[in-house]
Amino acid sequence: MVDLTKLREMAREVISREDVREFIGYRPGTYGFRARPAFVMGPDDADELIFTPACVNNLASYIVLEEKLPVKRGEEPDLRKVAVMVKGCDSRALVQQMEEKAYDRERILVLGIPCRGVVDMAKVQAKFPDVLEVGDIALEGDKFVLSFNGSKEEVAKEELLADKCARCRYPTPLVYDELLDAEVERFADDDYADVEELGKRSAEEKWAYWEEKFSRCIRCYSCRNVCPMCYCEDCVLDRLQPQWMRRSVDISENAAYHISRAYHLAGRCIQCGECQRVCPVDIPLMELNRKFYHDVEELYDYEPGTNVENPPLLSTFKVEDREDFIM
Amino acid sequence: MALKKLSKEKVGEALGELSKFRLIAPAKSDDVVVFKQINNPGEAFLDYGNSTVPAKKFAFPQTETLFRFVTGSPELAEKNVEEEGTTVIFGLRPCDARAMAIVDKLFSWDFDDPYYLKRRELTTLVGMACVEPPSVNCFCTSLGGSPFGGEGLDMLLTDMGDYYLAQALTDKGKKLTETLSSQLEDAPADDEQKAKQMALDAEGKIRRTIDTAGIPEKLPGLWENELWKKVSAACLGCGICTFLCPTCHCFDIQDEVEEMGEGRRCRMWDSCMFEEYTVHASGHNPRPTRKERTRNRINHKYSYYPDKFDVIACVGCGRCINLCPVNIDILDILDQVVDAS
Repeated sequence: MVDLTKLREMAREVISREDVREFIGYRPGTYGFRARPAFVMGPDDADELIFTPACVNNLASYIVLEEKLPVKRGEEPDLRKVAVMVKGCDSRALVQQMEEKAYDRERILVLGIPCRGVVDMAKVQAKFPDVLEVGDIALEGDKFVLSFNGSKEEVAKEELLADKCARCRYPTPLVYDELLDAEVERFADDDYADVEELGKRSAEEKWAYWEEKFSRCIRCYSCRNVCPMCYCEDCVLDRLQPQWMRRSVDISENAAYHISRAYHLAGRCIQCGECQRVCPVDIPLMELNRKFYHDVEELYDYEPGTNVENPPLLSTFKVEDREDFIM
Repeated sequence: MALKKLSKEKVGEALGELSKFRLIAPAKSDDVVVFKQINNPGEAFLDYGNSTVPAKKFAFPQTETLFRFVTGSPELAEKNVEEEGTTVIFGLRPCDARAMAIVDKLFSWDFDDPYYLKRRELTTLVGMACVEPPSVNCFCTSLGGSPFGGEGLDMLLTDMGDYYLAQALTDKGKKLTETLSSQLEDAPADDEQKAKQMALDAEGKIRRTIDTAGIPEKLPGLWENELWKKVSAACLGCGICTFLCPTCHCFDIQDEVEEMGEGRRCRMWDSCMFEEYTVHASGHNPRPTRKERTRNRINHKYSYYPDKFDVIACVGCGRCINLCPVNIDILDILDQVVDAS
């Protein structure tokens, strides 16, 4: 468990450094069991920082979401570091971003959180729909303990755990400047049983399945915007002249959008699951991403976001690379 | 006019009767509740909280073709909304209906929007009162609405256990009562009183509140306030809060090529939270960051709209709070507006 006193003290220290501009962490949400991203700009803000199993957001996305306005004449660009708290899964987004040379390692200060799992907030919401007052979630052994309105309730870990955590291979961050807790040994693995199962369906069954899901899409682009690997400065979706993708919302364009995005994430998606978490109409996007992830691992023995020294998969060529599926 | 009741056993029959019109009702798509055209009464899912996407999309579709064109031909095949026919939206929540009444003001303001207004004219709204609030983040009572509110509705249904109490609120609603004369029966005499008490109880169950008095007047003075930077820091810039808002009504118009030489002009929902929403042809963007865009979203709802139309463009449905991926909470923002100096 992360010691909050230690966390806040460290944040105060970090944000007081001359070479650090902001510290991105978590703070309690506005209702129920939510936690939300916190942007600490000065030592006084550090007191609200927390880390609990409600801290589901992948904060690595904010490193690439940063808005860079043109520097005014006579001013210098702000090159100070951004400090960011990351769980094991989130750290892989930083690793992959750096593999792709999105920015230099020196630009960020990474506070790693060895993690035993976070909740799926949708499951929490479904089980406790009436909790409005800000509550707290803690992981104690194999139970989540939820405190609210002066009472406490214990729920078996597997009942509220996020799916990705049940198959987490990297609970301890793979890149960090400092760890906020003792390392956590790998406690789970991924057998892709779900991917294999879904793959067994006929093409017609697959299309019927996805047609229902894609028909619901409202193209809010929350999946793209939250994705730590979707950081093109100029996304084709925002291009209107020419229109690479129509703005019309219909099954054809929606399917094209999601399938294209899944292709663009092949060999890059680090399975933080944020796209699926944020989708307001519950499109199971990770089923697409996990299919690609599984293929890439099988075909090229490559896992994205595991080693900064690795060149990105799609920018490398080895003579022994498999090509039997091409022709 | 005497109150009517619709026995739950006859709901299927009533929906069957209404399917001679274009009938829209809540239905399940996997576990997500959406409004859609119902062809078979069994598809309707009336025992719901609220839909994820508001019913507005049947007055103001996310994408609609305005006309089709062929290269080299001066003829335009214009959209005829009449063809959509008489529509009944059955079972929407009072907040969503009130939102349509609010948006009507915009679409009939300096220009009468023929598509929207024709569709509204053809549509009858049958609401379902919220005996229990659909979510902890409902705050309709702070905006002048009510879980039993009738504004914008033609008929209001109230779940009384074994039956729905049906109150016709407009001429369209009375007409619907006639259409359903074989399914509706006279309601017990004391139901009107009972429903009034239920409405009071339901209002009491709304737990989130904001005192909106003074907010529209205060907002312009907070233009440069540091609160905007703070409340928008976590924003991802996605369209959830605006697309799922029953009063958001911004649209874009695009020409889309369908076949070689054939195309259509259509309009589609746009979002002020998107970066390119305000990009000028020159490349300049007067709202360059999410800070300015968040400030616009709040100002549009709570300052510009009341300034122009005397009503706040928010009905307190709570969708933007429930579904924001980073817990940006409009009531939290408004609290900061109230506290700011």
